[in-house]
Amino acid sequence: MRVSHEWLGSMVDLDGVSPKEVERRLTLTGTEVERTFEFAHGLEPIVMGEVVDLHPLRDSDHLNLALVRDGASEPEEVVCGAPNLFLGALVPWARPGTRLPGGMKIGRRRIRGTESAGMLCALDELGLGADHEGVLTLAPGEAVAGQPLSELFPGDTIYELEILSNRADCLCHLGVARELAAALGRTLTEPDTAAVERVGEPLAASVSVAIEADDLCSFYLAEGFSEIPAGPAPLYVRRRLMAVGQRSLGAVVDLANYVMLEVGQPLHTFDLDRVRGGDGLTRVAVRRARGGERILALDGQDRPLDSGSLVIAVNGRPAAIAGLIGSLESAVHTDTRNLLLEAASFQWTSIRSTSRRAGLRTEASARFERFLSPNLAPPGAARFARLLHDTMGVSPRPSPVTAGALPGKAAPIRTSATAISRLLGVDVSSEAAARALRLLDFKVDGANDEISATPPAARTDVTAPVDVTEEVGRILGYDSLPATLPPLRRPQEQPRVATFARPVADLMMGAGFTECVTLSLMDPTAPAPVAGLGDGRPPLLIGNPLSASLGGLRYSVLPGLLAACRLNQSRGRERIRLFERGTVFWAGAEGQRPEEPDLLAMVDHRVESDSTESGNRLRRLIAICQGLEGALATKHLRFTAAKRPGLHPGRTAEISCGGVVIGVVGELDSGSVRDLELRGRVVVAELRLDGWLQFAGRRPVAPRLARTPALALDLAVAVPSTAALGPALERIADQGPPELESVAVLDEYLGPGLPSGMKGWTFRLTLRDPSRTLTSREGEKLRDQVLQVLHTAAEAVVR
Amino acid sequence: MTSDDLRVLAGQALEEIAGARDRSRLDELRLRYLARHGGLITAAASELTKSIGTDRAALGRAFNAAKTAVADALAKRQTELDSELRMREVAAEQMDVSHPIWPLERGHQHPVQRTLREIEDVFLRLGYASVSGPEIEDDLHNFQLLNMPPEHPARDSHDTFYLAGGWKDWLYRTHTSPMQMRTMLAGEPPFRIIVPGKVARRDNPDPTHNPVFHQVEGLLVDQGVTVADLKGTLEHVIQALFGKDRGVRLRASFFPYTEPSIEADVACGICLGKGCRSCMGKGWIEILGSGMVHPTVLANAAIDPERYSGFAFGMGPDRIAALRYGIADVRDLYDNDLRLLECF
Repeated sequence: MRVSHEWLGSMVDLDGVSPKEVERRLTLTGTEVERTFEFAHGLEPIVMGEVVDLHPLRDSDHLNLALVRDGASEPEEVVCGAPNLFLGALVPWARPGTRLPGGMKIGRRRIRGTESAGMLCALDELGLGADHEGVLTLAPGEAVAGQPLSELFPGDTIYELEILSNRADCLCHLGVARELAAALGRTLTEPDTAAVERVGEPLAASVSVAIEADDLCSFYLAEGFSEIPAGPAPLYVRRRLMAVGQRSLGAVVDLANYVMLEVGQPLHTFDLDRVRGGDGLTRVAVRRARGGERILALDGQDRPLDSGSLVIAVNGRPAAIAGLIGSLESAVHTDTRNLLLEAASFQWTSIRSTSRRAGLRTEASARFERFLSPNLAPPGAARFARLLHDTMGVSPRPSPVTAGALPGKAAPIRTSATAISRLLGVDVSSEAAARALRLLDFKVDGANDEISATPPAARTDVTAPVDVTEEVGRILGYDSLPATLPPLRRPQEQPRVATFARPVADLMMGAGFTECVTLSLMDPTAPAPVAGLGDGRPPLLIGNPLSASLGGLRYSVLPGLLAACRLNQSRGRERIRLFERGTVFWAGAEGQRPEEPDLLAMVDHRVESDSTESGNRLRRLIAICQGLEGALATKHLRFTAAKRPGLHPGRTAEISCGGVVIGVVGELDSGSVRDLELRGRVVVAELRLDGWLQFAGRRPVAPRLARTPALALDLAVAVPSTAALGPALERIADQGPPELESVAVLDEYLGPGLPSGMKGWTFRLTLRDPSRTLTSREGEKLRDQVLQVLHTAAEAVVR
Repeated sequence: MTSDDLRVLAGQALEEIAGARDRSRLDELRLRYLARHGGLITAAASELTKSIGTDRAALGRAFNAAKTAVADALAKRQTELDSELRMREVAAEQMDVSHPIWPLERGHQHPVQRTLREIEDVFLRLGYASVSGPEIEDDLHNFQLLNMPPEHPARDSHDTFYLAGGWKDWLYRTHTSPMQMRTMLAGEPPFRIIVPGKVARRDNPDPTHNPVFHQVEGLLVDQGVTVADLKGTLEHVIQALFGKDRGVRLRASFFPYTEPSIEADVACGICLGKGCRSCMGKGWIEILGSGMVHPTVLANAAIDPERYSGFAFGMGPDRIAALRYGIADVRDLYDNDLRLLECF
């Protein structure tokens, strides 16, 4: 929201307070100034000219030739295309040689054969608005010819504010001025709402108001005004509206907007002559819309109304969507003579949901939807009456017509200086607390420690003692508080599983893999050639996606990582190793909480590759998975040949732990590589960590370190080429002799010298007896025992 | 043999030793002159035993001098030859050590994860536990228990992704705060936790927004916790992350789940608070939202607000990473371009 320094200055004395200071004070107390800019600066060289003659320019269908005088020198001819120029108008005139606020220099130009002495300026050219439809015209009496424009538009500073969502009271100058006055310690002067003498026919004689939906509207006040004269709102009203970015739309609408921006109450105006019934009566009903009702709104849109929307019906026809927008047919015009003014209080959640359903947010709805105080309605109407009377000489008709009721007087909030001090962490005396609250317009009573505080009527956010504490705290200023630390306590225990997050990432990075973070959202319709552990799972869909490409929840981390591969490949990378640990989402029974497994995915992609090279990388990936097992000291992983969609049928393993599949590792099938628009060969793995990690952190047990020498013996065997090394090693570990300290695999041999269908394994056995030195004969015997195990396990024969 | 003969013999030996070009020649010369049996100089010793009279003493001295001179020359020449050989070897093995040719193939940490770790470290030292909660939440925990009933205006800034079809009652958490509730509901105060994790809001991607991002939520509940304690904690945490020279500023704010609510700013790293182009003249950069846990929220977790108080805060590691590492567009954080990641 924009507020004007000059307008604020009409309510709080800003003498000697720089815009910078206003910015700082407002920001620290919670009204954040997002941007500050100047309004109506650099207007000194422009003078007001009076149009003394006006006729169409020859050879032009839209240009006029105006004779303009500044009251001192001879009138000069100015060519102008503005449609709103009229004889006698006072217009801003940039004469040759002047510079516009935007920097443009005005010269003497020939247009269609006529020399133009400068130009008459539109609002946008003067930096006073966005409007370029016509020149700024003032009525005779508002200015005199030759007057510098800067006298009529003194420079101002505009603050763009971010109003907190609980502070509906700050959506107007009065609310911001109240904050500023408190922050500066100065007094607030509220706008004049003193009652105006009423004249004419009593309103109640022809206007009635009924609230039929009292859950959505608690109070409705209608005022009548007759004999509205023609003509614009006063210049200062228009100027202040322009300053905060509002267009001028005629006196009545301008004044209603002005009151809203000044004291915060949205007002709505109906042209009484357009809504009055044939019998001369105007029956206003505040009710829910009925089936099939529509409204042609002020924005020109024909809108259907649903039964959840509150409408203002006049003589049975919807004349406004309550708190949102009026109908075109009931709206006031420049020729409106009789006016019906609405100042009402609508239920905020209803306005909010109606506004959302209609896809329309107006200045009025933006205020109502934030729980605006109902107490603002009567002063809002009074302020309008005062302004209409003081500026245009119009008095309200006797007795407003009201329906519903205003909330009763708010009960004071009881708290104490002790309670305030206890929460803030600093000693605040009851006098200091009361002083801070009074600066904010609270009524404060209470003896000794007690504080009994009543917030100003506009404040709907202060309802509990802790709210009062906040008011005291922010006005005293948080910079005045000491900075302490909470008392020392026994540290809260870390969930055990969380402590293994770092070893996992560190091992991966140590192995040369770079950590990625990808979005948890994915395109549910895009084919995912490889989906690791998510294979075959239907994606959970987002009901209100931002775009189709982010329309589902990911069920595997691999598609995201492979997309990152593709990106890096497109940027010229030829070797890409990535990993990511993250949550994925698996649907269970419909409507039930989805499962959120914690997955670790890795990809190793190389553009220049062949079968051997990628095979070695696959071995390495398997070794990394085994390395994790060791680093985390967790349960043993078993790798078993498997077939998985998108993965090489001869180079894929399922990873299981205690009989449960918790991962998959393999090389991408050539088709998947192609579908993913990758080049070369890619090996991938995806492991489910939750479940596995809970076994992590086994405490190591140190072995007795035997002092006897070890005996190293090699064992070369031939096995069928389908034999699996993993289970064979497990068998040796289980059934080998106790003297067998370790087994290293030196080689897997495929090639000449072996019968067909066979391959060779070479092991180095380390043998040791802790009590004595083994002889070579004993060693050979032990080696034979190992061979025997291998023979049973994998049909091994000595080579 | 006379002393003069010995001198001549020694002179000849020294000459030959100086001319030796390798180790085997030296060995040969050692044998020739100093061999226990048959060495030319050694042989003179046996003649010594035969000689008589005053000559004997002079001859003995000459013999010792000759033997020592030759032995020393042999040793010296050997050292020379060894060092010449080493120099040739060294020259042959000379390497360019200015660059390894094959750099260490280490993996790199993602900047957001790096930031998360640093944040976590600061809090672990303060005795907080780092816990994680579900990313798919229900309205109750994500909003209602946190004092945000339906249609609450504060929900405006939490534009929420809802799941579709039969799962429409589930949403992607818009903050990690629901885990505050889950923690408080599951245990007894005091509490000191942080909750790092992914959250999602329905914001169109732009240089400062991603629909999915990270948050670190913090919660401390104990007896007698004050706004001053919150201030001290935030100052410590922000300065630990940004540097001791950076000022911290607290200003009033509003969150439905805290009262009072406070936002914390850190002084701009370029102008240190004076205002410059980089901070758009403000001098301060918004870092986190915080406040004292609202009594209603405590009561929702069955904690007596009269006995306990606490504070909560939430910060965005994506934004903190962007600020600390000069990443102009937060969308880059999720592209995983190695050119960026390899800087870490």
